[in-house]
Amino acid sequence: MKRLILAIVPLLFALAALGARAELTIEITQGMDNPTAIAVVPFAWQGPGTAPEDIAWVVDSDLARSGQFSPVSRSDMLGRPSTQNDIFYRDWRAIESEYLLIGRVSAQGTQMRIEYELYDVLRQKQAHKGVEVGSVNEARMLSHRVSDAIYQKLTGIRGAFATRLLYVSVTRVPGGKDYYRLTLADSDGARPIVLLESREPVMAPGWSPDGTQISYVSFESGRPAIYRQNLSTGAREQLTNFKGLNGAPAWSPDGNTMAMVLSKDGSPDIYLMNLMTKKLTRITRHYAIDTEPTWMPDGRSLMFTSDRGGRPQIYRYDLRTGTTERVTFEGGYNARARVAQDGRNVVLVHQQNGQFHIALLDLVTNRLQVLTSTQLDESPSIAPNGSMVLYGTKHAGRGILAAVSVDGGVKFRLPSRDGDVREPAWSPYMSR
Amino acid sequence: MANMSKLLVASGLVLVTGPLSLQVPAQDYVDVEAERRGRTTPSEPAAAAPGTTATDPYARPSEPYSAPASTDPYSVQPSQAYPATSYGLNNAPAGAAIAAPPVAAPAPASGGGQSMGTLYIQMQQLQQEVMRLNGIVEEQANEVRKLKSQSLERYVDLDKRVSAMGAGAVVASGDGSSSSAVPGPSAASATGQASEIPGEGDAYRGAYSLVRSQQFEQAVGAFQQFLRNYPDGKYAPNAHYWLGELYLVIDPSDLEASRQAFTLLLNQYPDNPKAPDAMYKLGKVQFLKGNREKSKEYLDRVISKYGSTNSSAVQLSRDFLAENF
Repeated sequence: MKRLILAIVPLLFALAALGARAELTIEITQGMDNPTAIAVVPFAWQGPGTAPEDIAWVVDSDLARSGQFSPVSRSDMLGRPSTQNDIFYRDWRAIESEYLLIGRVSAQGTQMRIEYELYDVLRQKQAHKGVEVGSVNEARMLSHRVSDAIYQKLTGIRGAFATRLLYVSVTRVPGGKDYYRLTLADSDGARPIVLLESREPVMAPGWSPDGTQISYVSFESGRPAIYRQNLSTGAREQLTNFKGLNGAPAWSPDGNTMAMVLSKDGSPDIYLMNLMTKKLTRITRHYAIDTEPTWMPDGRSLMFTSDRGGRPQIYRYDLRTGTTERVTFEGGYNARARVAQDGRNVVLVHQQNGQFHIALLDLVTNRLQVLTSTQLDESPSIAPNGSMVLYGTKHAGRGILAAVSVDGGVKFRLPSRDGDVREPAWSPYMSR
Repeated sequence: MANMSKLLVASGLVLVTGPLSLQVPAQDYVDVEAERRGRTTPSEPAAAAPGTTATDPYARPSEPYSAPASTDPYSVQPSQAYPATSYGLNNAPAGAAIAAPPVAAPAPASGGGQSMGTLYIQMQQLQQEVMRLNGIVEEQANEVRKLKSQSLERYVDLDKRVSAMGAGAVVASGDGSSSSAVPGPSAASATGQASEIPGEGDAYRGAYSLVRSQQFEQAVGAFQQFLRNYPDGKYAPNAHYWLGELYLVIDPSDLEASRQAFTLLLNQYPDNPKAPDAMYKLGKVQFLKGNREKSKEYLDRVISKYGSTNSSAVQLSRDFLAENF
C-alpha cells in the first residue's frame, strides 16, 4: 500500500527527469548581518567572438553564496572599468561598494587567461591582483580560483570554491525500479557529471584525501560492495564483496587505509583495509552496531557511531592505545560525525525535540550547537576550509542539499530540479 | 503478491514480539524493546527484496520518506543471515535481525527449536539491557568528570579568597546559594573609587555575619540599613550584590527586588569585580522569572564579555546555558 502511494507521488517529476541531468540550483535563505559590499565588474573579453563563460558572474555568485559578501547589482554600476586607469572611485563610493574587482579575459587556442585586480574603494588602492591560466573547458574552475583568492584576501580564510561535490540522486520510476545516480559537480552545483547510474542503490560517496579518487557503495551486483574509482582515468576497483554489510568507506588522511563497516563476522563492526595489500584489521568488536567511521585529521584516531550505550552516540577509537571513549553526551541521538580539518569542530546529526538537525560539536569546549532549523537533516559534509557544512534535508517533500556556515549564520539550499538528492560529500582541496 | 507476504511477515513479527515484551516487568525495558523493534521491523521488507527498501540503522520513526527512498546497507544484512521465509511466523524475534551473530541465526522451524529460541530471545534481552546500562554508566562517568573539574575550580577559587582573607582584607565567603565568587578584597583594590568610611567596615561585617549564620531575613534588613548609612561606601557594591543574593534565598523569594539589586550593581559599578557574577545572576533571575530570552541574553553576554577572564561566572553561565537551553 505504502509503495503504491509513493509510486504515484513522484510520477510527474520522475517522468520529466528521465534522461535529464540532476543539476543543482542555489537559493540563499539566510545571510550574514553585515556582509562586505563588493562590486564584481564584468570582465573584459579580449578574445574572438563572445566569452565562453561569464567569469565575473561566477565569482559574484560564489562570493554571494558565502554569505560574507553582498555583491553590487550590475544594474547599479555606474561604469564598467576593466583597467586601473578607467576606475573612478567616486562612482563606487556613491553606491557604497567597499571593494571593486575588475578583470580581463583572453584566449589563445584552447588556453585562457584571466587577469584580475581587487581595489579598496575607500583607500583608493589596489588590494590584490592575480592571474589564472588554464583550459577554456575549465573556465568555471578558473573562475572559482579567482573567488578563492578574493575570499582569502578579504577574510583571511582559504577559499573552498574551486572544489567539487559528490552526491547521490534517486529518480523514482513508477511501477519500476528507481534510478540511482552518483554525480560529481562543482562546489556551486554546476557542471554535473553522472559517474555511475544504476537501478540498484548507490550510497556513501567519499573522497580520497588528494581528491583524485572517490569511494562508494553500490548494490549493482545485487549486494552491497565497496568500490573505488579514479576520477581522471575512470578506472574502478571493487574493494569488498563480503557476506552481509559492506558499507561506509572512509579514506584515511594519508590515503593508504580505508575504514569501513563489515558484518561478515556478525554484527556491523569497523574494519580497516590496507589499500595496498587489501589486508583487513578489525578494530571494533561489539554486538551493538558500530558504523559510520570517520578519521581525525591526524589519522591517529577514528570517530564512529555506536549504539553500545543503548542509543546511537559518537565514540572515538584511538589507534595507538586501542581504547574507545564516548564523545557525545548531549541528547539521545548523535550520529554520522565528520571532523573539520582543524580537528576541533565535528559536525553530526543530532536529534532535538524529535527532529533531526545538523549540530556542531567543539571538541575543546565540548559545546554542542545546533546549526540547522530544517528537519530530517542527514549526512553532513564539511568544506575543506571548515567554513560551511553541506547536508541532505527535505524541502517541499523532496530530498535536497542545503548548506549552513559553521557559525549557523549563513544558510542556503541547493535544490535539484529532479529526483531526491542526498549524501553530499565535499571534496578536499583540489591540486591543480 | 510479494507486498502481501511482506505485510504478513511484518505483522507476524509484531505479533510474535508483542508477548515477549510482556515478560519484562520494567517499563523502560519495554521501551528499549519497542525501539529495537522500531528499528528493525522496517528492514524486514528489505529482506524480501534486497535493495528496494532500506532504512537507517537507527531508524527515524518520524521520517515518512526513509523507508523506500533511502537505502542503507544495514537492512540487507538480515536478508542474508535470515531469509525471510524462515523468519516469518516462527519464534525469531524482530530485534534479532541486526545485533545477532550469525551463529545464532537459524530460526527454529518448529517444536524442537523452541528452547533454543527462548535462549536466543533471552540473550537478546540481556544484550539490550547491558547496552542500556552501559549507556547509563558512560553518562554518569561523564557527569563525574564534569563535577570533578568543577569542584577543582571551586576549590581554587575558594583557596584564592581564603588566602586573601589571611592577608587581612575583608572578604565575604561561603556563598550558600550558589558557587559563584563572592565579593572579594579586589572589590576595593581594583576599583579604588571609594575609601572606607569610619564605622562602615563594622557595619558591613555585622550584616555579613548574619548571612553566615543564615539569618537571611535579618541580613536583608542589615544590608538595607547599611546602604542607607553608607550609600557611596567602599562596600556598597558588595552590599548590593548580597541583597541580590539574599532576595533569592529568603522565603518567599523576591525576584524583582533581586533583579533590581543586581541591575543597580551592574549600572553603578560596571567595572566592579562582582559585575560578571551579577550579570550571571541576572541571567538566572530572568530565567526564574520565565524570561528565557532575556536570561539567555545575560548569560551570553557574560561569556562574550568576560570569556577571556578567569571569572567563574563564565563557566557557570556556560553550564547554566548547557543545562537549560
